[in-house]
Amino acid sequence: MANQSFVKSVLKKTTLGIIIGVIVVVAAQQTHFPPVFQAMFFIYAMLGSAVFILLDAPAMKRLEGIKAVAALLVFYVLLSGMYIAGASILPQFDPTIEAGKIEKVLKMRKARSQQGKAEELIARAKQLDERAQAISKLLRSLGAGAKVEVVEDASATSGAASGDIVALGKEQWELQECYNCHKLFGSGGKKRGPKMDNIGNLMTPEQLKEKILFPKTWKAEGFDKQYKKGKMPDKYRDLMFDEEIDALVAFLATLRDTSVDTPKPIKMK
Amino acid sequence: MKTLHRSVWIIFGLMVCGAAVAYAQVPDAPSVDFPYTGNRTAVWVVAQLHILFGAFILGAPIFAVVAEWLGHKNNDPKYDRLAKEVIKVTVILYSMTALTGGLFLFVLLGTYPDFSTWLIKHFFLVFAVIYPLLFILETIILYTYFYSWDSMKGSLKGRHIALGVLLNIVGTITLFVIDGPTSFMNTPAKAAEGVSLVEFIQTATLWDKMANFSWMPLNLHRLVGNVTFGGFIAGLIAAYMYMGSKTDEERSYYDWMGFVGNMIGVGALLLLPFMGYLLAYELCDYDASICPYMMADQLSMFFEMQGAMVGLIFLASNYYIWLSLKRIEGVEQIRMSGFVALAVLLMPAIMGFAWKMFPPPEWQSLIFLAAMVIVPGILGRVPGLRNFTVSAFTMIKIGFLMIVVADAIWMTPHGFVATQGLATHEVELPEWAQELALMPAKNAAAFTLVFLTIVNYIMYNRAIKRGTIIWGKIDFASQFVLIFLAFSAIWTMGLMGTVRSLTRKYYHVYNLVPDFTPEAFTPTLAYSAWWITAITIVFYAVVSFAILVTLRPGGSKAVAPQGSPVPAEAK
Repeated sequence: MANQSFVKSVLKKTTLGIIIGVIVVVAAQQTHFPPVFQAMFFIYAMLGSAVFILLDAPAMKRLEGIKAVAALLVFYVLLSGMYIAGASILPQFDPTIEAGKIEKVLKMRKARSQQGKAEELIARAKQLDERAQAISKLLRSLGAGAKVEVVEDASATSGAASGDIVALGKEQWELQECYNCHKLFGSGGKKRGPKMDNIGNLMTPEQLKEKILFPKTWKAEGFDKQYKKGKMPDKYRDLMFDEEIDALVAFLATLRDTSVDTPKPIKMK
Repeated sequence: MKTLHRSVWIIFGLMVCGAAVAYAQVPDAPSVDFPYTGNRTAVWVVAQLHILFGAFILGAPIFAVVAEWLGHKNNDPKYDRLAKEVIKVTVILYSMTALTGGLFLFVLLGTYPDFSTWLIKHFFLVFAVIYPLLFILETIILYTYFYSWDSMKGSLKGRHIALGVLLNIVGTITLFVIDGPTSFMNTPAKAAEGVSLVEFIQTATLWDKMANFSWMPLNLHRLVGNVTFGGFIAGLIAAYMYMGSKTDEERSYYDWMGFVGNMIGVGALLLLPFMGYLLAYELCDYDASICPYMMADQLSMFFEMQGAMVGLIFLASNYYIWLSLKRIEGVEQIRMSGFVALAVLLMPAIMGFAWKMFPPPEWQSLIFLAAMVIVPGILGRVPGLRNFTVSAFTMIKIGFLMIVVADAIWMTPHGFVATQGLATHEVELPEWAQELALMPAKNAAAFTLVFLTIVNYIMYNRAIKRGTIIWGKIDFASQFVLIFLAFSAIWTMGLMGTVRSLTRKYYHVYNLVPDFTPEAFTPTLAYSAWWITAITIVFYAVVSFAILVTLRPGGSKAVAPQGSPVPAEAK
């Protein structure tokens, strides 16, 4: 009897859930929500329906012994599957995009770091060389004819790439993810930072460089709150090499689209 | 023998610490390539396991000492038994914490020798002196606390509780100390304006490095998280034991234990969203570019998953209340003011609007908040309006409806894309509805979840006091709810731990020590979910084994009967 009424309840609530879901989807269509959001709203209507079905479910029978263990194992498998599936259904960021970006960002640092190590090795080699020569001298003075090979210094080369400086600057814009806060060419940033399309007409390259290195020296008109909170990170003087900053500045200096209302920069310090 | 066995593990852990410090003195140690998983995932798995065991051995004693104190205060032996059983499991898992800690150090040193050396040198005093000393002290107190349980009864009980408090103080200090290097990796000490971070770090004191931007928020977040964790694991212990119980007495005791575990877990859980918010706020305050990386870039879908998990946890904890209410005789007479129900229904809209107009902490936002919380209660007492009430079951059903609505708001992203940089109109919210994706709406959703859970608990307590509760007669499905809560809480901890680590982007220490290895990218959410699930299962398997070995469901001695129907108020 209880099972029959539960089946009825399931049918009733599922039907109700579908009806509500359809109404929500139609309303979402009319108000210009894209299909992916419409699907999300429908799923929520069905989730609501499932919750209310569960509330009226009859009491579960007691499980004992091997049945209880089996039920637990099935439960864990279901939970694991549900969480993995849920996470996998959501849009996935392609790591190769980021890996490529990181490779570019770290390339010069890595090169310099290796150069640093190379320099250290050279210094050690020189020390060893001096010792070897001293030993050699000593041996000669003792009458032995030993010869010691002299290690030639290896010279490290700079990893700096050449090329169009403006293109390199544009690349820096992408690599440093400036677009997360600044809108440019109609895309990127929300309200954290000013649009940059006309910045080349408002600031000289020196001023732009000063702003990047010391963000508190300039404020964009209308961005008092962001300026006060220090939203523009002051990390770039540590993270970017001079040539990278120069390239970024060169790129920004070319942005001269007067049709875009880039806020006026105000000198602060 | 047991003591000897555990002591060997502790000594092993300390030897590893010592070896790590010694290893750090050897220059240019070659790194290894970890098979199958790769280096980064290997470190991730072992570190996360260590954190989970650590969270348990720090959270469970807080739970236990509170229970012991309640038992002492109310002269109720149930609480004392609960506390002792939780500590028994803790003692077993203490060895696992030391083991995974040692393993973590070995794997880290083997896979990232340069960075490990760098970090150990910067926190030498912490790793070589303070942390090991605290660990030894905590070990001594924990074992003294456990082994003196039966001998320190009666007039000595107060001293035993004081020992438990001391254990928690030392445990909390240990947590705070080790959070120093951890948080430093996310937000290294910030140099004064105009000074380079790289230069500053060379001269910064240990305190400069410890007291970084995210240190205290991380401490608070982990502390509250550990209590939540302790509560839910106590619920898990209760569920296993309930399922394996052979007598009504045992069932009634473990039913009660599940109720207490869930109550503590949920109670602490209510604070967690705000602690998480504080941590995220400090990370963003340290470097504003972390914020879009979390919320709008590579990690945005991780937060989507977090929203789903939080929604499920709230659904489950309220479902447990529902199942508990169903077995209380006289619950039909429990009613709640209809204005409270209205407040729950309107909360997302009103608070979303209020927080958009007056972002917290502006005083007007607090006025709105206070009004939403206080006014329904006052209106419910006004003669004439007093009769506008809803039944307990209707109130909870409204609560469930709003959990679904609030979670839908929490999970509505600006765009259904892995990074907003790739967003197009086909996957973005329409212009008019963009508020749904902003913080005021998310805060309102979080607050609704918290508020309605509090309302449900108030009603539940009223029902327990006025009605008649029969412990041991709860719907068997409730045990699966307790297990679900523990599993989901662990999974969410794993997910958010992953997020916290990933906010360092391609740095070992954010903006300071780059990770030059090819694995320095953000892994996909799907890949992360596989590993988080694997970690959760391993942890769960070990904890389940510890519970079975320590407490042996169905094999314990009979206890005083507690299953008879008694008005709860009389207890």
